[in-house]
Amino acid sequence: MSKPGPKPRASATQLTGVYKPESIRDVAESLNIFSLSDQVAGALASDVEYRIHQVIEEAARFMRHARRTTMTTSDIDQALRVLNIEPLYGHFPHNPPTFHKAAPWPQPYGPGAVFFVQDEEIDFDRVIREDKITLPKGVRWTAHWLAVEGVQPLIPENPPAIPREHDMDGVVVNGKPGEPSKLSSIFPPTPPSSDRPSPIQAAKKQQQSQQLVKQVLSRELQLYYTRLTTALIPPSDDVKCIAALASLRHDAGLQALLPYLVRWVAEGVVNALKSGSQDDADGKVLSVLLDVIKAILDNTALFVEPYLHQLLPPILSTLLHSSLPPQHATRLRTTASQTLSHLLTQHSTTYPSLSPRIMKTLLLALVSTDKGGGTREGAVRGLMGIGKEAIRKGVVEGGGAKVVGSECGPGDQSSLVEAVMESFSVICPKSFNPTPLDIGDESDATTMEQLRDVLGDFFAERLANDSQQAIGVLAGQQV
Amino acid sequence: MSTPTPAASTPEVASPVTATATNVEATGPSSNISSTDRAVLDYLRLRGFTTAEKLVRDSLESQGSPAEPTPGPSTTSTISAEDFTKRNAIYNQDVQRSGGNALKESSTVLRELGSMGNPPNIQNLIASIGSVGAEEVLSLDPTDKQEGFRELEAWVDGSLDMYRPEFRPILFPIFCHFYLDLIQHGFKEAALKFFHEFSPSLQPQHSATLHHLSTLLLPSHVQNDEISQRFRNEKYQIRMSKSGFGLLVGWLTEGVGGEAPGAGEGFSGEKGKRGRASVMRVVNNHLKFDVAASNTTTVSPNAWEESTGLLSSLIPQSNGTMITDPRSFNASKGELKLGPMPIAEDLQTETERILREQAMVDRDPNSQYDVQWARSLIPTGVISPSMTDLLPHPPSFQTADVKREVEKVREARKRIRLEPSVLTNVNDETPQGVVTRARALPSICAYTLHDVGEGAPCSTFSQDISLMAAGFSESYIRLWSLKGEKLTGFRSDFQSSSIKDATTLRKQKEKSGTTTRKLIGHSGPVYSVDFDPASGSAAPPRYLISASADATARLWSLDTMTNVVAYRGHQNPVWDVRWSPMGIYFATGSRDKTARLWSTDRTSALRIYAGHLSDVDCVRFHPNSLYLATGSSDWTARLWDVQRGSCVRVFIGHQGIVSTLAFSPDGRYLASAGEDLAINLWDLGSGKRIKKMTGHTASIYSLAFSAETSLLVSGGADWTVRCWDVKSAGGMPSKALEPDVTNRTNGVNGIVEGDDMNPSNFNLKEPGENIQTLDLVATFPTKRTPIVNVQFTPRNLCMVAGAYLAPEQR
Repeated sequence: MSKPGPKPRASATQLTGVYKPESIRDVAESLNIFSLSDQVAGALASDVEYRIHQVIEEAARFMRHARRTTMTTSDIDQALRVLNIEPLYGHFPHNPPTFHKAAPWPQPYGPGAVFFVQDEEIDFDRVIREDKITLPKGVRWTAHWLAVEGVQPLIPENPPAIPREHDMDGVVVNGKPGEPSKLSSIFPPTPPSSDRPSPIQAAKKQQQSQQLVKQVLSRELQLYYTRLTTALIPPSDDVKCIAALASLRHDAGLQALLPYLVRWVAEGVVNALKSGSQDDADGKVLSVLLDVIKAILDNTALFVEPYLHQLLPPILSTLLHSSLPPQHATRLRTTASQTLSHLLTQHSTTYPSLSPRIMKTLLLALVSTDKGGGTREGAVRGLMGIGKEAIRKGVVEGGGAKVVGSECGPGDQSSLVEAVMESFSVICPKSFNPTPLDIGDESDATTMEQLRDVLGDFFAERLANDSQQAIGVLAGQQV
Repeated sequence: MSTPTPAASTPEVASPVTATATNVEATGPSSNISSTDRAVLDYLRLRGFTTAEKLVRDSLESQGSPAEPTPGPSTTSTISAEDFTKRNAIYNQDVQRSGGNALKESSTVLRELGSMGNPPNIQNLIASIGSVGAEEVLSLDPTDKQEGFRELEAWVDGSLDMYRPEFRPILFPIFCHFYLDLIQHGFKEAALKFFHEFSPSLQPQHSATLHHLSTLLLPSHVQNDEISQRFRNEKYQIRMSKSGFGLLVGWLTEGVGGEAPGAGEGFSGEKGKRGRASVMRVVNNHLKFDVAASNTTTVSPNAWEESTGLLSSLIPQSNGTMITDPRSFNASKGELKLGPMPIAEDLQTETERILREQAMVDRDPNSQYDVQWARSLIPTGVISPSMTDLLPHPPSFQTADVKREVEKVREARKRIRLEPSVLTNVNDETPQGVVTRARALPSICAYTLHDVGEGAPCSTFSQDISLMAAGFSESYIRLWSLKGEKLTGFRSDFQSSSIKDATTLRKQKEKSGTTTRKLIGHSGPVYSVDFDPASGSAAPPRYLISASADATARLWSLDTMTNVVAYRGHQNPVWDVRWSPMGIYFATGSRDKTARLWSTDRTSALRIYAGHLSDVDCVRFHPNSLYLATGSSDWTARLWDVQRGSCVRVFIGHQGIVSTLAFSPDGRYLASAGEDLAINLWDLGSGKRIKKMTGHTASIYSLAFSAETSLLVSGGADWTVRCWDVKSAGGMPSKALEPDVTNRTNGVNGIVEGDDMNPSNFNLKEPGENIQTLDLVATFPTKRTPIVNVQFTPRNLCMVAGAYLAPEQR
């Protein structure tokens, strides 16, 4: 009854099940039966499929009772046994095979998706060298509290908390993961991984961002971070503070914390300055924060360069802020300038444009008209931090001294004046036996003239006491 | 089979043909054309099919009348000559047109048509063929069903909202019968097409059965398969209101009555009529309508689950009378004695005496009330069993019994009360809300097994929480002491003559030991373990019973740490084993469709509870030990009278295998969980379903009630433990919440969408299926631990256990 040629309703055959007549034909050919009609093959394929399903349905019971959601070869074996069929020996449920999909078939009438078991390639040399074979520990149990009086404790054994429904709304509407840009959190989104919930389910608000950090950082680092920050601020216990700074200065492995620390410092500085209060505590906080920056810069294990642009604002803010707490002002500015100097010496080689940019900022602060004395002082100290050349450019040539001098009354001994004087002594140290400039002497008179010209009257008077220094200061300018 | 039909059909067909033949005698064009052929030609001309007429004429002239093609083998002998030639004429025409392939098919098709036992239909078909090609006409048979089902579906979907819930269940049986018909008659491709077209709408409710049906592809399968035979031989029962039934009958007969808007011309046309006729055939032969007088509006959306299906075989038939309704069956079995188990009077007085003494000694101000606790109040509305109703136990009590009773009373006093009902209208955010939550919800201690090889199918805790046992797929059982004590057995080399009293016996204990112990004896995966409850929470249990795929149940002595007895009797894997509440007796459920009652001192079963149509997957004793509940793969649960061995209640409503059960401690309710991811709560007295609780996203493995029956805890393959308020009404949340809720359930699993390892993905049928009912009060996800056992201690601490599932099993 077999007819030559394919059946007319070829499209309908695609509806048949997974076991194709072609497979039957292959089996038949392997048994030396070459004249298998389409009908027979089709009927056999249907029947084989039915029998396979029978076995699978039976095996599913064993899978279910074994409390598993993956069927293993042992389930099939059990099923065959109860169906009174000899089990297929030689398959073990250990290492369940993973199936890989083969590359798509080039021909249009391909057999559909082909799956195969990929053998793992094992490099003998490596296995022998690595010597990783350890005896499994055997079954053991751990106990933890899944819920305490209806509340799930946030311990590592439990999965991270799920956000509440109303937080989910936005995410659900989008149908997409919440974009990182939406997050107001300072923490980068965690890449999704199979054994951890994706950030989709986590943070939308600040409270969740707290939770997100728990996912990003290891528990130990989180703990370290909280310990560190609480030890430093509020600055109460000096011993603790020193220990924390020492740890920050010398400990390795803090790289992951760096962005958070930098952020924390920046926020601390902003808070301390913004509050505007002139009290002691703020000053202490600022000095501690500067110490933290110093410590971070000192730590050789940290790779700070990517965060320099975030570190500079706090330093410059401290340096140039108009109203620092009075008791600490000078010290803070000095420290900030030292830190700045430190930073520049470390990194100006890799960032050649760094010092010019900073200098520009400082010059602006020094020369522009509407700045207070504090800012000016900071700028001068900052220039001192950068170096001789900067002072010369800023204070002497740039007219910084002139501006400052014009604002000071005679006999002024403010810290600003001192700072400028100090900057002069950086260019040219004071002589041991200062001999004042002699107005009568002609050369001295021209020097005095030059001094007045360059530095303004006020500082010219000051420098007039030490001829050597005055000449030095001017000499640098003339060079 | 096919012979009588065409023969019987002859007269009807012949009469019109002969009539036309006589009328147009004069126009006969060529001499060698027989009268019938001429009749056909005339007929064609009359109808105006000129081309067809020409074709027929050409073919007849070229071949001559005797040049008939080989007729279908089986039809030749018995069909009358006239009919035969007429049919051949049609075939000829067909052969000319479509390349000769129609003949074989059409003849078989016709044969099939004949075998279907509806002669008038064929006559109508043939009469109305006109000149349409035979192939098309004959292929109408499969499309007939397709058409019929499409119309039925359209009609159901277009019906009024109030009727739709009761009409929808009709679709499924008709679909099944159509599919089976098509397969049985060999229209495999048509059947597959039919399946692909219409199964999706039925998939959510009936995925398991549909999948099973889709595996049937040959007529022989239909004949041998259990489910298809049940469909064939049993009436599918559907509950319907009177007015709804009236509408259905109206549609079936007239094609009217609540038709779909825009149903189109198919409705009044021939096709529509034939489609309805085939629907009607199934309705007449295979459906049974349970027409209720009740108003349609009172029917809840899930009510169909209880009253629909192949019920007749699920309900035990006792004394000849056919009961096909689970309700009437449950009612016919009379009332049950659901009260608490009575305690022997002397044991009671002894317990009270000890309690009173201890109250004096302890000076604990609370313990003086213990005596009052001892006499438990008998709840109203239930009948309490008497001592004689219980399974026989030793007549005199022992010290252990007194200790157990005393401890029971003390535990009851120290119990944490869980009142989830206070949670309604409580805002979790407020501090008060937190306090109420604490009052309402339990503390849950999770025991996670690590480095489990092939899997741990079962686990259990002893009542005094001193021991944990787990059965493994590798055929062994492992015991752990949770208190860190050493588990020691006896040395194997002692002389029994040297044992004189307890002290000398103790000397024979092993000197060294660890806190864990492996019990080896089974030869297949261990599917269930249970600790002997006889010592209650007063002392560690002395025995462990286990069930395995090797068809045995084994009793393990925890004194000797050895296997004491193997109970053989089941022919197939034993899925579950449970002790009766007082020990000594235990029940097993097996793949051989029976549950059995055993006593530890006999190696053969005392009772066999037979009646389930498929595996008995779980067994549980009622707290007063009078009844045994079984859950089965036939989607039902039954309640058996332990002593009589008769079925007293049947619980129909699950749409999947019943995987686990739990009795409420007050003895009134049974909770059952199924592969349909629902937990049903049943009232034992009436046998009615109280509510359906949904929310799990994968199989539910274990259920447990808190001691006051106020809270139900469930654990399952979705790695969560969920708490349900038993007393609340439940029900679905408002529609607006749906996507949110489903999303949240996914979130509970802590899984990124599309992750293959997510168990919930396997069972996620459609979003609507996973809606959490309102009585779900809390969900506690674990990291990756499917919870195989949840259990309450006597003080209402919840213990859960499961094996951690490593993300990569390689």
